[in-house]
Amino acid sequence: MNWNEFEKIFDDCELVGSKIVIKSNLSGVIDFVLKEYPYDMLKEIIASDKGDEGVELTYHLYSVDDEEDLFISITVKDEIESVTNFFKSAEADECEIYDLFGIKFIGNENLKRLYMPEGWQGHPLKKDYKETDQRLEWND
Amino acid sequence: MNYLYFLYIEFLQKHGVPKLFGDITFYVIPFCIVFAVLLVVILILVLAERKLLGFFTQRKGPNRVGYWGLLQTLADAFKLLCKENITPDKADKFLFNLAPILVFIPAITAVGIIPYSAEFTFVNTQTNVILYLILSAFPILSIFLAGWASSNKYSLFGAARSISQILSYELPITFVILSIAVLASSLNLTGITIAQFSNWGAAGWFIFPCILGFIIMFISMLAELNRCPFDLPEAESELVCGYNTEYSGMRFALFYLSEYAMLFANSMFMAILFFGGYLSPFGKYLSNIIFGETPFASVLLYFEQAGWLFFKASLLIFVIIWIRATLPRLAAFDLLKFSWVVLLPLSIINLFIIVIYKYILGGLA
Amino acid sequence: MTNCLSLNLGPQHPSTHGVLRLLLKLDGEKILSCEPDIGYLHRGMEKMAEKMSYIQYLPLVDRIDYLAGFFYSELFCRTVENALEIELPDKVRAIRVMLLELNRISSHLLWIGAFLMDLGAVSPFFYAFREREMILRYFEKLTGQRMMYNYFVFGGVRKDIEFLEDVEEILSILPEKLDDYEKIITDNPIFIMRTKGKGILEAKTALNYAITGVNLRASGVDYDYRHNDPLYKGFDFRAVVMDGKDSWTRYKARILEIKESMNIVHQALVYLKEGGKLEQKLINPLNLKLPEGDYFQEIDAPRGTACCYIKSTGEDKPYRLKWRTGSYYSVNLLKKLLKGEYLNDAIAIAGSLDIILPEADK
Repeated sequence: MNWNEFEKIFDDCELVGSKIVIKSNLSGVIDFVLKEYPYDMLKEIIASDKGDEGVELTYHLYSVDDEEDLFISITVKDEIESVTNFFKSAEADECEIYDLFGIKFIGNENLKRLYMPEGWQGHPLKKDYKETDQRLEWND
Repeated sequence: MNYLYFLYIEFLQKHGVPKLFGDITFYVIPFCIVFAVLLVVILILVLAERKLLGFFTQRKGPNRVGYWGLLQTLADAFKLLCKENITPDKADKFLFNLAPILVFIPAITAVGIIPYSAEFTFVNTQTNVILYLILSAFPILSIFLAGWASSNKYSLFGAARSISQILSYELPITFVILSIAVLASSLNLTGITIAQFSNWGAAGWFIFPCILGFIIMFISMLAELNRCPFDLPEAESELVCGYNTEYSGMRFALFYLSEYAMLFANSMFMAILFFGGYLSPFGKYLSNIIFGETPFASVLLYFEQAGWLFFKASLLIFVIIWIRATLPRLAAFDLLKFSWVVLLPLSIINLFIIVIYKYILGGLA
Repeated sequence: MTNCLSLNLGPQHPSTHGVLRLLLKLDGEKILSCEPDIGYLHRGMEKMAEKMSYIQYLPLVDRIDYLAGFFYSELFCRTVENALEIELPDKVRAIRVMLLELNRISSHLLWIGAFLMDLGAVSPFFYAFREREMILRYFEKLTGQRMMYNYFVFGGVRKDIEFLEDVEEILSILPEKLDDYEKIITDNPIFIMRTKGKGILEAKTALNYAITGVNLRASGVDYDYRHNDPLYKGFDFRAVVMDGKDSWTRYKARILEIKESMNIVHQALVYLKEGGKLEQKLINPLNLKLPEGDYFQEIDAPRGTACCYIKSTGEDKPYRLKWRTGSYYSVNLLKKLLKGEYLNDAIAIAGSLDIILPEADK
């Protein structure tokens, strides 16, 4: 993937290590990447809590032909557009992140609490998560 | 049967017992004997199946209860008797309780119309082949009742599958039996057996002119018995346990018992149709060869004939168990297709072949 | 349209391989829609990692996929080793590769048994378990555990390799047993009827659904991370890529992959039998702190590519740890693949994807 070319089109982005950090317009970036380069798989979406800044989502793309990984990272507060219309596998990832981080993905209709029970308070992988749910009382 | 009957009445009258008593008991006692023998046979069959499956899959099979695991099935039966009979809340209680009984009765009755030896048939009607056909198809009705009454979705699927299965496999069976009836000029099981008699022993068996029919019949029988590879109504990996998912305790035991009773009865039925029933494969009976034409030999003959029938049936059962150990299950759709597209036309062709064969044979004679 | 029947397949069901729950909408036996529901075996692997030091977490990772424990152990060790920039000595590499590939064989063997069980054949299950048992016995002899080995440590292995003659025996017995499987399964007309042309997974769909591993390679995509993996450097093997796309191909690809794995095990065995001292680059796991940064590692596990991502802030615990597991995406694929199939084909298709729920649930 040609970084210089990429930089020309999208201004508010930077290269940190091996990953491209963008500020906004995720679907635009992904759309561009898919059109210009032979990336054909979204291996995973890595979410990581960054405290007050929000949650950092790292989209891990892979191209089978070039055997090349690409990481695109974006930090979001509480909602972002879904990439399910590019990659169906994102349905699974986004569902997991919705459950564990509380990020809403606009356009993904299958969001549900995956691991935690329906109506669970809080999102366990957030750093400020406290086990406040009353169902955990027996733990004490 | 007459010969035995007169012997029995004569024996009773010697001891001053009225004839009426003899008339009644003569028909009741053997039925009790058969029932008891059947239970023992089923216990042995279940053990044999588990032992053989163990053998085929490199295991030991049951070997803890009794010597060589001989009492294992007895222990299992006892355990089932002790278990609680659970009726689901939403089930149709009457039909739910009726189904296991209805499944067991035809299985027992079917065993009663098999000719075990030349004179030893309990119910000997002129057309007991037809009677047998009805009885062997009857359990499917009870299976449907069970599946419907359980109000369980898996049971319902099992029931629906067994109905469609029996509908498609009953036809080829009927056509094959027709061809056997043509060959034997009889619809009576004893008549069919006698028609296969020849001095050359096995040469007269109907399997030789009717080999195609045998293959069709064997496959259809597997389907009718819900045996692998046609065990769709109770496909464990798909429908949990099919129609008897909700059954427990004694009711489950009745399903289990009738399944094996039907396996036994159907194998004997096949042996009669194609392998000469109780006839010896050597043309002459062993008891006659060893003891000559003595009265003792003529009594022993009854047992030897029954022994031949059991032997032939158990060979068939062995093959059926072997198939179960080897083959995966068919898909429901393929199963129906196989019956309507392959078996049914073949069985009709078989009937034509047999009719022509019979015509030529009759012309020669 | 007729009224449809909703059926709750699982989580307690003989053929959902654990606790997969499928909410099916059926028309007769035809599946109108399928909604997988997982999480019945969720142990919070990622949350736990944030509360444990690296060495405390190490024994847990075997449990992510209990049928291929070595792979996740290796993946976690390698991610940490990457962070510390440790390059593994050749002998450690050989030991790890040998155990990984043996583990892959045992995992595939179990799959063959379970798949045939789904199709209703009883015997292959026992045959496959008999051969798997030899491998597990060896693992038990070597590591003291049959499934959760906890044998790999950061920078090496817990102890030197032993009992190589057992591996030799496994390698000598396995080929003829595989031939037996081929005889009883591969050419079986009913098996072919049930699997040929069923569950077609086009390469494009597979990539879109992020399916990896054997399932992807059976759809004709040549993606095997082992070829780029520095761990496998010096080993000569080829990826099994087949172009059948159906359940039968996925079965055949696994059989071929077992053969290929045997080939790799053989190469490692030859190297290990030369002897040589075990040099390790062990690090003191107590008070182990990874330098600040993101670390990422990938491995080709039996059920698809597995990835481990560690974000460290220089503490003795990971700030964030993320697992990517193959089964998780296969479960998601069921939604598409089962639609329009009949119930008994659906079981066979779901079985052919080799889904293991502890791996999907994490």
